[in-house]
Amino acid sequence: MRVLRPLLAALLALIAFPVAAQIVSNPHARVELQAGPQTGDSRTAVILVTPEEGWHTYWKNPGAAGVESTAEWTLPSGGSAGGIVYPTPSRFVVSRIMNYVFEQPAALLVNITGLPETGAQPVEVTFDYLVCDDSICVPENAQFSVDLNDVAIGERQLAEYRSALPATPDWPASFSVDQDQIRFAVEVPRAEDVTDAYFFPAVDGAIDYNAPQAATRDGARLIVETTAGFNPDLAEIPGVLKLTYGQESVGSEIILTPGDVPAAGIPLAAEDKPAGAPTSGATPVLLAFGLALLGGLFLNVMPCVFPILSLKALSLAKGGASPKAAREEATFYSAGVVLTVLLLGGALLALRAGGASIGWAFQLQDPRVVTFLLLLVTAIALNLAGLFELPSLSFSGDGRAAAGGRSGAFWTGALAAVVATPCTGPFMGAALGAALIMTAPAAMMIFLGLGLGLALPFLLIGFVPALRDRLPRPGPWMERMRRLLSLPMFATALALAWVLGQQSGVDGLIIGLSGAVLIGLALWWLGNARRTPAPMGAVLASLAVILLVPADRTEAVTETASGRLLASSPYSPERLAELRAEQTPAFLYFTADWCITCKVNEKGALSEASVHKAFDDAGIVTLMGDWTRADPVITEFLTQYGRAGVPLYVYFAPGEDAQILPQLLSADMLTALAKDDGGAA
Amino acid sequence: MRTMLLCAALIAAPAFAAPRVGAPAPAFTATSASGETVSLSDYRGKTVVLEWTNKGCPYVQKHYKSGNMQALQKDAAANGIVWLTVNSSSAGKQGYVDGAAAKAEMAENDTTQAAYLLDHDGKIGRAYGASATPHLYVIDGKGVLRYMGAIDDKPTAKLEDVKGATNYVSGALNAVAAGKAPSPAATRAYGCSVKYGG
Repeated sequence: MRVLRPLLAALLALIAFPVAAQIVSNPHARVELQAGPQTGDSRTAVILVTPEEGWHTYWKNPGAAGVESTAEWTLPSGGSAGGIVYPTPSRFVVSRIMNYVFEQPAALLVNITGLPETGAQPVEVTFDYLVCDDSICVPENAQFSVDLNDVAIGERQLAEYRSALPATPDWPASFSVDQDQIRFAVEVPRAEDVTDAYFFPAVDGAIDYNAPQAATRDGARLIVETTAGFNPDLAEIPGVLKLTYGQESVGSEIILTPGDVPAAGIPLAAEDKPAGAPTSGATPVLLAFGLALLGGLFLNVMPCVFPILSLKALSLAKGGASPKAAREEATFYSAGVVLTVLLLGGALLALRAGGASIGWAFQLQDPRVVTFLLLLVTAIALNLAGLFELPSLSFSGDGRAAAGGRSGAFWTGALAAVVATPCTGPFMGAALGAALIMTAPAAMMIFLGLGLGLALPFLLIGFVPALRDRLPRPGPWMERMRRLLSLPMFATALALAWVLGQQSGVDGLIIGLSGAVLIGLALWWLGNARRTPAPMGAVLASLAVILLVPADRTEAVTETASGRLLASSPYSPERLAELRAEQTPAFLYFTADWCITCKVNEKGALSEASVHKAFDDAGIVTLMGDWTRADPVITEFLTQYGRAGVPLYVYFAPGEDAQILPQLLSADMLTALAKDDGGAA
Repeated sequence: MRTMLLCAALIAAPAFAAPRVGAPAPAFTATSASGETVSLSDYRGKTVVLEWTNKGCPYVQKHYKSGNMQALQKDAAANGIVWLTVNSSSAGKQGYVDGAAAKAEMAENDTTQAAYLLDHDGKIGRAYGASATPHLYVIDGKGVLRYMGAIDDKPTAKLEDVKGATNYVSGALNAVAAGKAPSPAATRAYGCSVKYGG
């Protein structure tokens, strides 16, 4: 009996259903009319369309081709039918033409009101629809004339149909149009688990259907970027956002309204996550924090920071400083470093949230900032060289300054952080890249790590007397050492001058250099005379010079100065696509004039004759992206590869995935790349 | 892998970007049904209409069986407007014609277009972003694209819907003749997808 009961139920179900429906079987689709349970004078009619295998019917916005389905109703007097409510559609691309379709049975729902509450409900409906396969389209038609009571289905069946409709979650969603591009941001739950996102606009003209949609994630927000349609100036764009979480897909109705859209975020989660791979939570933050700390630590030996640090350290070693004073000095120096780094990081995040496509060291893309740094570094170098002495900003390790100069220590720290920005050491690329794709607090953690790393050596010296004791005894050699350390500082100034020249042309360069000469003179005169207004005068002079530098960057000559550098053509997504389509191996490098690591690679591995020959032999085409000035196209590429800045080296073997190369290149590594490819081809 | 796909997808975009109304229409040169070489630039100074066709598509048939398309073509010719029919169906796909078959099609439909262009490799179609048949474009005498999209506002395959529909193409042609911007200047073309190869 127990076995029989479900069997009986199943049999009953079989008998009950064919009766409660009217079916039209057309050549390429079967259409069935049903009606849900009645509530008051209304009920939901269901048009169930089942296309033939390999065929599809269309959504209300059919995409770049196709046609919407229509239903014309003749109802009992007083009755009225609403529009068709569609399930979440799928994409169907044929010959690169995007269609929004249903390849599976689709239940189209129509709300009918004003029906007689008792008795017969005779209705007639003419349902016109287009059904296509990948090569031909056939308009079909189904006509029904039934009493809705005769095609009734149960609440459960209707609920199942409703479950295929998009949800209506009221997610905040905004869009912004920039020339040909339209970008939108939507806050969604479980954003970190989304593996694919696609927006089906319900209105026409908003997007170019045939253009792909690139989805990335910025914290809890998804950012989708695509080509704008012929009429993107809409007050709002309603549509359905289809999110895929691994195997499962859900559609949600959203309404995009004009607003700020942050810059592209990180790639979405991979469809098949490797087991145990950290995707969220504390691990990657801690890892990135560690990398940032390490990166900050390494910055201390970079030419821009080393002189400042080493002199500061030696000043503590000088007998005059008490343990308490040393600790104080170290604390204030560290505070200066950390606060400045956090300030820069915070500004970076705020600007990115506003939609600016920028990365770390973004401030160096402005020639005025470069001029400021040039003047500052020149002043420091001149100070180290002994041209003048300033009591308030002293690197000389004058005992009195060290003891009383809390603010001096603080500002020295700030200075070290600012001067450090053009130098990108090892480990920093990965850490800062990670920072940009995390939530703001996590990102600030990473900047904190960077600051702490930068401050760490001095902090240790300040707090561990044993370390201080191990420092060499002070003596007259320190003065010589200081003069010597002005050299790397002058080199940094030279590098900055070169960057300025690239950005603003010869005129800008001359203004900057004149400023440097003037500031040198002024500091010497004021400093020598020990006049108090020295810092003030210097600041005023710098400001004047900075204002003179042309802010609109005149087109500088971007010739590849050294003919020995690997020959390349400028990077563009189109060119890369072409190469990929032609199965041509491609090597991409992204650089900026202010990026010292980049320049090291370019003078080194990328200029090696053996590399040139290997690349030529393997037919590798090189594309170069110059990020000296902000270029959103390049920023987008960097972001896709999880980088906040340059350098980035990527190799595309024909038909293979991108291979990201280390930030420090070697000739062997590059020739091996070319040889691997030659073997495969 | 995800990233790669994303990247590839992103990069593929410009290869099939639709042109913009108000911008110069993409230049092209094609062979006509009668074997002549036709370039868009040949018609500088004249208004040009491009009409994407596929005789197997019910939405194209709607406008030929009703005589709607022939009437538009005749009207255009009378007003010194150059009407170019373009067929982008690739070999083996629906609507594909060679020169002889195209001539037969023209005779059967009694058409009066200036030329019937064979775009078997889909180059012109891709350049214009033609996605459906029929898909229509109006280019003014300066070579600027003025209208692109549907033939009218009734996206059905029913012959009886031709009557009473607002014809966007004749509207656009009148606007261009009067030196005004067509309204609407862009619509979604309805119909079968263009049967490109690959």
